[in-house]
Amino acid sequence: MRLSRSYKAIILIILATLIVGSIPLDNNIRYRRLVLGMKQPMPLTKIVDFDPTALTGVMIGAILGGFREVAAAMMWAKVHTLWSTGKGTWFDALYVMRTVTVLDPHWIEPWRITSWHMAYNLYVETDDAKQRAILLDKAIDCLKEGISWNPEEIHLYMDLAWIYFDKLDDYEKAAKWFRATLQMEHPAHIDRMIAHAYEQLPDIPKALDWYDYCLKRNPNDPIAKGATLTIRERYLPAWRLLEAGDYEGALALLNQYLEVDPSDVIGRHVRAHILEEAGRLEEAYDAWQQMSDSSALDDLARRKAAELGTALGKDVAPVATQVLRQQRPDQMTPLRRSEKR
Amino acid sequence: MEGNPVGLIDLSLDVEEGQIFGLVGPNGSGKTTTLKLLLGLVFPTSGSGEIFGYPLGSLSYKERIGFVPEGPYFYDHLNAVELLRFYGSLFGMGGTEMEDRIEYLLKVVGMWDRRERKTGNYSRGMLQRIALAQALINDPDLILMDEPTAGLDPIGAIQIREVIRRLRDEGNTIFICSHLLKEMELLCDSVAILNRGVVCRQGSMEELLAGEDSRYLASFRRLDEDSRQQLQSLAEQIEVKGEQYLATFADQQSAAAAGIAMIEQGAELVEIAAQRLTLEDVFIEAVGGIPE
Amino acid sequence: MKAIWRIAKATFHEALRHRFLNGILIFAILIIGSSWAFTYLQPGAELKMLVDVGLGAIRFFGMLIAIFVGVRLIPDEIEKQTIHTVLAKPVTRGQFLLGKFFGGVATVFTNVALMGIAFGGVYMIKAPEFREILPEKGTMISMEFMGPNIAKAIGLTFMELFVLTGIAVVASVIFSWVLASIFSFFIYFVGQTADFLRELASPEHGADTASTIIFGVLYRILPHFEIFDIRESIMKDNFVPWSLLGNVTAQAMIYIVVVLMLGYLFFNEREM
Repeated sequence: MRLSRSYKAIILIILATLIVGSIPLDNNIRYRRLVLGMKQPMPLTKIVDFDPTALTGVMIGAILGGFREVAAAMMWAKVHTLWSTGKGTWFDALYVMRTVTVLDPHWIEPWRITSWHMAYNLYVETDDAKQRAILLDKAIDCLKEGISWNPEEIHLYMDLAWIYFDKLDDYEKAAKWFRATLQMEHPAHIDRMIAHAYEQLPDIPKALDWYDYCLKRNPNDPIAKGATLTIRERYLPAWRLLEAGDYEGALALLNQYLEVDPSDVIGRHVRAHILEEAGRLEEAYDAWQQMSDSSALDDLARRKAAELGTALGKDVAPVATQVLRQQRPDQMTPLRRSEKR
Repeated sequence: MEGNPVGLIDLSLDVEEGQIFGLVGPNGSGKTTTLKLLLGLVFPTSGSGEIFGYPLGSLSYKERIGFVPEGPYFYDHLNAVELLRFYGSLFGMGGTEMEDRIEYLLKVVGMWDRRERKTGNYSRGMLQRIALAQALINDPDLILMDEPTAGLDPIGAIQIREVIRRLRDEGNTIFICSHLLKEMELLCDSVAILNRGVVCRQGSMEELLAGEDSRYLASFRRLDEDSRQQLQSLAEQIEVKGEQYLATFADQQSAAAAGIAMIEQGAELVEIAAQRLTLEDVFIEAVGGIPE
Repeated sequence: MKAIWRIAKATFHEALRHRFLNGILIFAILIIGSSWAFTYLQPGAELKMLVDVGLGAIRFFGMLIAIFVGVRLIPDEIEKQTIHTVLAKPVTRGQFLLGKFFGGVATVFTNVALMGIAFGGVYMIKAPEFREILPEKGTMISMEFMGPNIAKAIGLTFMELFVLTGIAVVASVIFSWVLASIFSFFIYFVGQTADFLRELASPEHGADTASTIIFGVLYRILPHFEIFDIRESIMKDNFVPWSLLGNVTAQAMIYIVVVLMLGYLFFNEREM
């Protein structure tokens, strides 16, 4: 028999009550899934914002349901083919790689290799600082997303720290991400890398503290031993004078050593740093520029020269890390007061 | 019952207990819609209806009815006994009462020997018999049938007709919808003719077929010339079919007198019979003739 | 209740004999049986791959079975007109709908249980082998909760597929079975990424008022199928609390009740 209107209305009211009444239950489930790490740690909208190609992975994932991992593995094989045969552009391979990370976020290799391709192989494909900044930005996001899915995977922290260290010359962030691995079982060179990052920054006292830490862990560590001696002998006295505001004294001390070993990169960095702190910006610019000219690998010198040059009104080409710092200030350590001009 | 102008309009049927009632009509006249309305499968767009005093679609009267669909199809994987058990259980039947009833019904419809075979392997006729059996599982007061002999071979149709008559003789009331007029004429005690959603004629088969101007037919063989002339003078009309002479008379007496006269003259009297109307005649008249 | 039970039983027996369904089941069991063969694709993560492929296959083929069974249950009865003889008996449309649904659910349950048993067998044979190579590869997966978590995941897959069966049955009452299949697939896929809708509805994401309302309502109406997926916890070897399973089950029950009530409203109005 047909239902009367009043019965239909009652059913509709019950339906609405059930839907509305289940909201607290739904919220509870969502919250608990989040706490238990069952939920996607990064909102989909954010992933898609970072990289619209990730949506492909989301779609494929939804359609394939259970076979995401198999699909990811097969696509990964496709990446190798694209990469090794040179068919299609490298960026094509990048899209497929990104899809693989969305399909199987617990597979570590795609996160590492995708970010490495972006920060290194694709980076050298272009000379445009803006393009390079985008690639570095995406490489960092990729690893950060990988870490959010796999917080216990040490290699992702190490890779991220290394990109900060090697490509972004943001040694503070590098030290931060290296430090994040210390609670895990980690190789000994990580401890030294933290010290080394502070050495590069340069933050000589902190570098020394970390080398001391390395020696406490392994008193026979020859590298830490050597580094500690070098720092104490060459840089620490100058640094103490710098801290005391005696810039001239500090420079004089350092220059003595640099006359003996003019290729001492850290020494030259410390010297340029002292010049900056002393407000002798033209000289500091020249120092950074010389280092940049003499070493293709000294990204820090190149970035410093570009930043100082720009501040001094010189006609200098921008560098990727400078662009990135302007566009995504949250990705990098803010400039120190003395660096802001 | 009142329905919409497209399907059924103001349908009112008097079905007497213990008889076979036929609802006949051309395709699209509303026969199947009537059955579906009675079963609650479709709904009147306006108005209402009742069976046994209960509103259409109510479960209360469904306890007391059985339904035989047209071209029945059942769950392939069940055999006859399992199928009847399924339908019986829907009435809350069970135990030996149901098993006895199933055995009885399968014997009535002549399927007891083939009870173990899956219904997926049944012929059209066998399915029709099982359809009858399932409709009777609850010993219904009213059995609704939709084209029960349609698509059957002549033997199958005869067997089904026999079962239906037997059911009527056992006191069941049967309501059949069909467009097979000859079948209905052979089966039904009462008939309603439905056309475009309206009942045009309704009554017992006798009433419908008893025309006021009935004639009598006599047929003869071996007539000589004199006999032929005499027959022509006595009969209203003569028709020659091969060796036979078919003479039409206004009444029974004239026919009898002509018969005696012809026999005396050495002719052979084949048959004297009243010329009855057929349901087809009544139907054609009721629906307003055969369209051009 | 008896009528519902009898209709469910008949539905279950008939569905089990469906060739297409049996074909899917055999194919699924073959895939699950050979799931260990996929492990070479991710060296170092063999166990993860085995579990992913096994559970993934159960979910994927279970989804196909649930939709296929669900959308054909009632249209087949209408097409063959068997529904006429059943509804001519003292059976309400509600009882018929429930009977068909429970019959469908029993079919899905049986198929998924068979797949689960097949996967259990593969897991018991192959997992110890992969477990031995775990420490060498330095993978993060420990094994403490994996077995029980797999059982819980299969349990939640049952729940998920019951909801999906309900949706498919109800969709088939409203649309043709082809359209109902497409509709059910769509709801399933959107339901998997329901959080996306929630994010789109969020003003924090820059949604305007219209988007907030539209996506917000869609998010509330659509079932959230992702809540049945606990593979993250299996991969991280986290204990999945029983209370969470209870909540998810309760939510599934609410979905089923809502879907069936909606289906009842439509089915009761349908002319046959």
